[in-house]
Amino acid sequence: MAKIEARGIVRHFEHAGYRLRALDGIDLSVGDGDFLCIVGPSGCGKSTFLRIMAGLDAPDAGEVLLDGKPVSGTGPERILVFQEGALFPWLKVSDNVEFGLKMAGIPGRERSQISRRYLDMMQLADFAGSYTYQLSTGMKQRVAIARALAMDPDVLLMDEPFAALDAQTRDLLLVETQLIWQKTKKTILFVTHNVAEAAVLGSRVAVFSNRPSRVRRELAISLPRPRVGADEALARVQREILAELRPEVRRSGGGEGE
Amino acid sequence: MRGARRRPGSRAVRLIFYAALVAAWQAAAEADVWPDEVFPSPYEVAEDLAHGAADGSLLHGVGTSMWRLLAGLSMAIAGGTALGIAMARVRVVNQTMGSLVLGLQSIPSVAWVPLGLIWYGPFDAGIIFVTAIGAVFAVAINTYTGVKNIDPHYVEAARNMGARGGQLVTNVLIPAAFPYMMSGFKQGWAFAWRGVIGAEMLFSYLGMGSLLNIGRFTNDVSQVMAVMLVIMIIGMVVDGLVFRRLDDRVMSRWGLR
Repeated sequence: MAKIEARGIVRHFEHAGYRLRALDGIDLSVGDGDFLCIVGPSGCGKSTFLRIMAGLDAPDAGEVLLDGKPVSGTGPERILVFQEGALFPWLKVSDNVEFGLKMAGIPGRERSQISRRYLDMMQLADFAGSYTYQLSTGMKQRVAIARALAMDPDVLLMDEPFAALDAQTRDLLLVETQLIWQKTKKTILFVTHNVAEAAVLGSRVAVFSNRPSRVRRELAISLPRPRVGADEALARVQREILAELRPEVRRSGGGEGE
Repeated sequence: MRGARRRPGSRAVRLIFYAALVAAWQAAAEADVWPDEVFPSPYEVAEDLAHGAADGSLLHGVGTSMWRLLAGLSMAIAGGTALGIAMARVRVVNQTMGSLVLGLQSIPSVAWVPLGLIWYGPFDAGIIFVTAIGAVFAVAINTYTGVKNIDPHYVEAARNMGARGGQLVTNVLIPAAFPYMMSGFKQGWAFAWRGVIGAEMLFSYLGMGSLLNIGRFTNDVSQVMAVMLVIMIIGMVVDGLVFRRLDDRVMSRWGLR
């Protein structure tokens, strides 16, 4: 059975008096422990789709199923990592990581054990007492991932979390993310406009079509991990994804799809 | 700003300025252009200050005014924060109270004095009422603006991590809006300080404002000036020590500097 599943998700947007159909019946099934990357042309609604999966946005039609049961609204079993991290600047790094645990009423000692574990995993142990303004963009994203993992969600939803990073930091985090996925066996949905990123990370890749969006194609990637940089097999996968994406980008009138 | 304040020369410059100001004042007083009852010398004012300090009347006045200020301002901060958050988060509250608050905020605090006298009598409660009501709307408006300007991702992330209702207010809305709320407190304090002195003058019931009034009735111009000096110094101390420090910390921690 699928861990998380989207069935016939439809979402419209009002834009300058028009009713735009952004998502046109998205069906997507993600197995337990899958790492699914979603790529698509700019404005195809892939981020909206992820927000719907998180329960932060509601579809006009269709439903989200977790372990076969419909879910609505947000839940701690589906945690979204935002593009800009959305860390709380008034809290120390460790308190940021413990935020959800505190909301759930977990006692302080247990909280700090959990936050220490995930800060260690993200190699941030030395920064537990720092405030976010003292961190680099890459470190902030690592804190955001630690904060999401501390909730021990069934599904981790990541919305272009590395888009704002410089190339070196991104490469580092691409490797780290694979290691964390292997270690925690989380189900991950990862939205990106970067084909190389999708090829490196995904066990599967779903290519969204231009608006009104559907899933154009799903590909499985079974290359060994950790995948890094540019070997020939990876390049072949990238070309395959790009071949699906390029016509959609053209139809959308440009933008995105590197 | 910060660097300039730390430069060693700036303290000396300031010292020289005040010394020169006092010297000019002394010279003007000695020139006998105006009679002493109208324009006292700095020495006479200092004498009056020393006298007031020695007999405890100044300290008592400062204490009385400060306690009224603190009581009124605390109420204004509590009430204004609650009102501001409600205005920002509950549409109907903003549609109804929003415009009223803007109107009420334009009423100078001394204009509340007659109501305070009628409702609470010429005692502490009346003065505290005037102080609180003079500050509460500034706090509310700044809180409202602060909550409205919160990055929506903060609220979404918090909701995603399970924060609900009251948890969301205390753990996210208030801290996220805090830099704006700080300006509200600062404005609130300024209004409250003016309100307390104004009310005390009109109520004539203890406190610094009342001391000013006594000085006026007894034609004791040096007492008037001495009390004004103390009012100014308290204002400078609160602004410089309390608010500037708090501001520095908040601005850097919230990553706004």
